[in-house]
Amino acid sequence: MNLLPFVVAGLVIGSVYALSGVGVLVLYRTTGVLNFAHGAVGGLAALLVWQTVELRLQPAVAIALGIAAGAAVALLFGLVAGPYLARVDQLRKAIATLGLALVLLGVMLFVWNDKARTIRLETSRISFDVGGARVNVTQLVCLGLALLVVVGTLLALRYTSMGTSMRALASDRELAAVVGTNVRLVENTAWATSGAIAGVSGILLADQTRLEPAFLTFLIIPVLAAVVIGRFVSLWLTLVGGLAIGVGQSLVSAWPTVSAFSTAVPFVVATVVILVATRRRVVTVGVVRA
Amino acid sequence: MNRVLLAAFLARAEVRSALVGLAIGLVLALVLPSLPGVGSGLALRTLTVCAIYALAAAGVGVLYGRLGLVSIMQIGLVAVGGWATLRIYHATHLPFEVVMVLAALVTAAVGVIVGLPALRLSGLSLAIVTLMVAGALEVLVTYAGFPNGGDGFLGRVSGGTLAVIMPRPALGQSDDEFFRYVGVVVVVVLVLLRWLLMVRPGRTWAAIRQGEAGAVSLGINTVAHRLLALAVTSAVTGVAGALLAASSGILDPTSFKAQQSVLLFATVLIGGAFSLLGAVLGGLFFYGLPQLLNTVGLDGNLVFVVLGLGLVQAVTTAPAGIAGQLGALWRRLRPPRPPRPSRPSRPSREVTV
Amino acid sequence: MSRLTLSGITVRFGGVKPLDDVSMAFESGVCGIIGPNGAGKTTAFNVLSGFALPVAGSVDLDGDDLLAVPAHRRARWGLRRSFQQEQVVRTLTARENVLLAAEHSGSPTADVDRALDYVELARPYRLGAELTMFERRLVDIASCVVGTPRLVLLDEPAAGLDPAESERLLGLITRIPEEAGALVLLVDHDMDLVRAACGTVAVLDFGRRIAAGPTLQVLSSPEVRKAYLGIDEEVTT
Repeated sequence: MNLLPFVVAGLVIGSVYALSGVGVLVLYRTTGVLNFAHGAVGGLAALLVWQTVELRLQPAVAIALGIAAGAAVALLFGLVAGPYLARVDQLRKAIATLGLALVLLGVMLFVWNDKARTIRLETSRISFDVGGARVNVTQLVCLGLALLVVVGTLLALRYTSMGTSMRALASDRELAAVVGTNVRLVENTAWATSGAIAGVSGILLADQTRLEPAFLTFLIIPVLAAVVIGRFVSLWLTLVGGLAIGVGQSLVSAWPTVSAFSTAVPFVVATVVILVATRRRVVTVGVVRA
Repeated sequence: MNRVLLAAFLARAEVRSALVGLAIGLVLALVLPSLPGVGSGLALRTLTVCAIYALAAAGVGVLYGRLGLVSIMQIGLVAVGGWATLRIYHATHLPFEVVMVLAALVTAAVGVIVGLPALRLSGLSLAIVTLMVAGALEVLVTYAGFPNGGDGFLGRVSGGTLAVIMPRPALGQSDDEFFRYVGVVVVVVLVLLRWLLMVRPGRTWAAIRQGEAGAVSLGINTVAHRLLALAVTSAVTGVAGALLAASSGILDPTSFKAQQSVLLFATVLIGGAFSLLGAVLGGLFFYGLPQLLNTVGLDGNLVFVVLGLGLVQAVTTAPAGIAGQLGALWRRLRPPRPPRPSRPSRPSREVTV
Repeated sequence: MSRLTLSGITVRFGGVKPLDDVSMAFESGVCGIIGPNGAGKTTAFNVLSGFALPVAGSVDLDGDDLLAVPAHRRARWGLRRSFQQEQVVRTLTARENVLLAAEHSGSPTADVDRALDYVELARPYRLGAELTMFERRLVDIASCVVGTPRLVLLDEPAAGLDPAESERLLGLITRIPEEAGALVLLVDHDMDLVRAACGTVAVLDFGRRIAAGPTLQVLSSPEVRKAYLGIDEEVTT
């Protein structure tokens, strides 16, 4: 069996997982919110693209609109819930985003029902042959974009003043606020950026897989697995994690006898990583309780 | 000495509210079917399923409210319980009660295996892992289906063979009887759970919730006791799966989607995770609300929107949920009693059922 | 007579060494560990309760190797600990709090009422949330004396109490060795309390032991006054 097509498909999907993971990671590091609604935001963006293209809008405009909608939804949630979330622990922050995921899923199911749709980006029509595997331009875009976003984020975090503020917030919120960082502005920027990234990845995933509300919402699972592999810190390891999970899922689906278990790959990988991470952890217990 | 202890035990608010809850629960379970309008048809069947999901909700509630653990895979575990029930029944034809206990044990084992690695890390990793399990179980259940009397491990009939349906328990054949049967099982399980919360495991869980360091220095093996909690709540959820399987004798994979697990978690937080009354409310919201929306002609999917907003509100502003607010209301409305210094004081607490 | 010996204990967190080759010995009664902030007092307690793993050294109580016992088994072994910030469980009654300590240290439950009598806590059926700070400190002490403790660690047990309450707590602490037969180790900043409670003290500074011996003698030694108490401060005895 020629496994190359599966590897290529896995790398492509995996790169979008990684791309999406970067959005989750940036938001988590800056605001402390692990956004379980990241996939749902992407799903909404993709459905908006589908809808506006149906309404005969220019595809490029439609895509821009979808990405903007993703950023807007995330920003809105950040604006409304952010001040409350700043006061609760990380677990509650994450739980609150489960609420957002439910709301978005409900809206999508209400407006568009759960029929599977497809969007076909223009770039997917151009394809060529690489060692027996068909590769289209969208897939190249996925791979390139993931790499670009990882490098771009690293550079932005290092060299822009907003990036410096984000890193300051990630290491110590109180201190950052004391030295005069506009915490709310930085957090809102993180929400909008991560929402836009969610929108891009949602549209790409909808093109590569299928445009279905619940399916896209729960693509947060492999994305979270990628972030777990990145230990919630490393952008590069998140990229590696995303690619590994994508390829892993794709290869498992290559064999009919085990293909049904391919969605269990993120769970298995994340569990193994958590186990390994545990073993390395020194037994320290926070003694002071608030 | 023992009588003094017993008197002090009965004087505690939580004990009395538990007894009140027990009484109300039993009365509801036995009387509800004979009420006009409820007595038959869709309404009763809906209430039956609501009561069943109250058990799954209780599992979520105990984990979150008593230990601060987030489990988003509970509907997946209901499916595991249901699958085990059908599988064991078709293989052995044992009485339903025996099958139900065995299915609860299987579900407990699955819950423990899943939670074991995640429990050593922060609470966030258990949330992540259980969400992944919810996703994986949805696919597995869709792939494997539920046993319906066929051959092989999966027990699916194929070709033109007719599916075999598991009969209802002998004591609950008709819809009325089955509702009472479910009601009694649910009340008994909730009472057992309540009792567990008041004795050594419950005390230990409270100490763990308060602080890891304090708990360890008391000599508590925190990992072992968290696993115990997972085992207990998973077993309770397995009972829900068994009852659900008994309800129609056959199960449909589409009822066990990952988003249902998220939805159940939301209903429990909205209802109130700190008391079992909140769990019962959670069960009602989870299954009753979509049915209600459907009957008044609204899209059932709006439930996601309503409960999602409710979840955000519960997390940010009302951590004790509706049950907590009811409890506060009850305390406000109740005339203050003169203090009786000769007796042990009655601590005021959330209303607990 | 029990004897606790810490030999060459070193704890490392990254590049920092909160404890650096510390050796201390304590013999029955109430003993103190004192030192300025960041001296390593709480880290020493964390080593004894198993929350911090030393990279070198050993701990020995009457021939038992304490470091070989896992953290959660040390209560059963005879270790009790109170924290700077009291850890009374708010959702349990005072009695249940002590019961919890008894259950998980393998002590008979009959001991619970004896421990509550020892601290003279009125109405033990109130919830932890309803107790005053002083009553919570009493519950802490009761949890420490329940069963048969061998080593009791008290981390600033009188923090947040007024002088009269401190006085009563002091009386309870000094009676623990004869009442429960345990060696008591006390960490505190309150020099009056340390002087009144402890027969011997060890002084830590920057993770090293700089002095040890009878309390009055140690507190008046020039080295300790310089490192810890500030050279200008008058130490009255």
